[in-house]
Amino acid sequence: MDLSKYAALFLAESREHLSSCNQLLLRWERDPAASDPVGGLFRSIHTIKGMGATMGFSGVAELAHRLESLLDALRQGRMTADARTFQLLFRAVDALGLAVESAAAGREVTPDAALASALDEAIGGAGRPVPAGAPVADAGPPRRRATDRPRGRSVQVMIRSDAVMRGARAVLAVRRAEVLGLVSAVRPPMVQLEREEFDGRLAFRIESGATDQEVAAAIRTAGEVEAVLFGTPSAAADGVERHRQIRVDLARLDRLMKQVGELVAARNRLGILAAGAGNAALAELSDRISRLVSEMQAEVIASRMTPVGEVFERFPRLVRDLARELGKRIRFDMEGEEIELDRSILDEIGDPLLHLIRNAADHGIESPEVRVRGGKPAEGRILLSATRERNSVALRVSDDGAGIDRAAILAQAAPRELADVAPDALSDDLLLRVIARPGFSTARAVSGVSGRGVGVDVAMTRVRALGGTLEIGSEVGKGTTFTIRVPLTLAIVRALLADAGGERYAVPLAYVAETVEFDARAVTALRSREALVVREQVIPTVHLRDLVASREHPAPARRPTVILEVGERRTALVVDALLGQQDIVVAPFDAPRGMPPYVGGATILADGAPALVLDAAALL
Amino acid sequence: MTHTVLVCDDAIFMRTMISDILTQAGFEIVGEAESGSQAVEKYRTLKPDLVTMDIVMPDMGGIEAVREICRTDPEAKILMCSAMGQQALVVEAIQAGAKDFVVKPFQPSRVLEAVQRVLG
Repeated sequence: MDLSKYAALFLAESREHLSSCNQLLLRWERDPAASDPVGGLFRSIHTIKGMGATMGFSGVAELAHRLESLLDALRQGRMTADARTFQLLFRAVDALGLAVESAAAGREVTPDAALASALDEAIGGAGRPVPAGAPVADAGPPRRRATDRPRGRSVQVMIRSDAVMRGARAVLAVRRAEVLGLVSAVRPPMVQLEREEFDGRLAFRIESGATDQEVAAAIRTAGEVEAVLFGTPSAAADGVERHRQIRVDLARLDRLMKQVGELVAARNRLGILAAGAGNAALAELSDRISRLVSEMQAEVIASRMTPVGEVFERFPRLVRDLARELGKRIRFDMEGEEIELDRSILDEIGDPLLHLIRNAADHGIESPEVRVRGGKPAEGRILLSATRERNSVALRVSDDGAGIDRAAILAQAAPRELADVAPDALSDDLLLRVIARPGFSTARAVSGVSGRGVGVDVAMTRVRALGGTLEIGSEVGKGTTFTIRVPLTLAIVRALLADAGGERYAVPLAYVAETVEFDARAVTALRSREALVVREQVIPTVHLRDLVASREHPAPARRPTVILEVGERRTALVVDALLGQQDIVVAPFDAPRGMPPYVGGATILADGAPALVLDAAALL
Repeated sequence: MTHTVLVCDDAIFMRTMISDILTQAGFEIVGEAESGSQAVEKYRTLKPDLVTMDIVMPDMGGIEAVREICRTDPEAKILMCSAMGQQALVVEAIQAGAKDFVVKPFQPSRVLEAVQRVLG
């Protein structure tokens, strides 16, 4: 049978369990007397073992089995966890993660023999050591456990999404399972299954002497069964209320989002046509469609929202390992894990956060001795927090470490353009521009953690690409805070509004480096093009009025200039006036023929008037 | 050994089609029935390995026929042939003892898959 199509499901579920394992291990290590982490760990590992065995990934199943045996011994109190045990558990969970990833990618890794024997040795006489190369079929749950779980195993069945009459198929699957044992706690209830009131996933418990494989095989004879999984569906989130959910390929949501965007554009055109037609019924219908489309857009955006905790959860482990490596003591706290972000932004935000957290641990937090000498507690603190701010989310990485030494930054930056800036005149904005320069690093020695210069600049580039911003606040001796602001969703962009010849234009803020006053005395020529000298840097200039060929009103005497920056390239865009910032929804643009390339899209401003969105990259 | 099949459907078209699909796959059609009561009677005399059963048939419906056949032979291997939108009836047939179902319009591959599942 072709199991490859379940690989994605196996991978997704395993990752959830492994992530939960890491959290539980951290909690347990902090409080070795706590009894609940080991139970959760055991269940998660057991589930991975069952899934791995079902998929025929013997490497995964065997490693999980060894780990499970060790956890069982710990759980039963046959042995106690010391520092070495925790190291071993962390190592084994990591190895299991690796085994899962590579198995799902189609290449099973050879099991780490040293780790396997370390696990066997740790279990020692207390456990049930595994003979090398034990058949996967033996990796089923130990029979003894059937008695501590009175109601049998939990089974999850997924009916193929393209199957017809999935309700009847689900009923058939339950009937097939009933042949092998007592089935109970069917979710959703049978009456709902019969009416196909479910999303294709059902779960029940089965009390049976049959192995997982036998049960799975029997259920599969019902036909159209996508996957059969064993273990509690909520093992990764014990005690958390379970919502009915369905996994959806993100690409599908992307397409849906795009289509809704086009629908919005079509709706806007309809609105204009209806308004001009003088037909009351048509106008009313257009209004109704308009409302429905808005609601639909909101729903689609909402369906893509994912709690930032999903990205946060890997950091406690990271900080723990970093602290060990650096010989520091660091307490890591997180806040606002429940704040939601568009999935595609969330996927991109992990790396920038990683760089900033590494920076905080490496350059921010001082060694315990230095801290104590400076009158601080020996243990440093890094706080990762998320807060919702209207249409954006602010993610902060703050440390209570040394802060950034501006004099040292300037010494490093000299003799470039900042040579004449006094340390106390180095504003936070300027400071960030300096340290975000590719390759900038003040770290005296490359520590292997950060300091290779790929920290802030990488974070900055990634955040900008998302239409977000990065800010810094730092005080010597008190610590540093980096703030990333990203839009809630990629469909909503923060823009600077500018006026040229009486028309309004929106410039995505992500590409705005700064704004300056246009100074005619600073005009020079750069390869026969007009250019502006800003702080000794020559920047090519574009007048928006000329670009849009506006002859409306005379140009004002004082003209603001927006310095656009995409990567390393800059352009000075001279406008008539700046009208402030606004969150805009960029509508996909069916460009009429002859539309200039610098127009990246269109938007409806808050007051209902349309405005063109400038594509900064095309203006360079 | 060739498996024997009893095909039950009130439409000749459907009987022909199912017979063709199964014959081509190497099954032996030992009988056809155009009503539920005929199906029950022919099952008793022919003892086929497999029955394909339409749900809606005159005189005695498919579900009642399933119930009747399973009363005498709980191991009877009956495959329901249903039209779209008859899910409630299919569920009823499963509760009555039908082993699997296919949904019209038939795709030969789906029919054969279901037959294989039923015959184990």
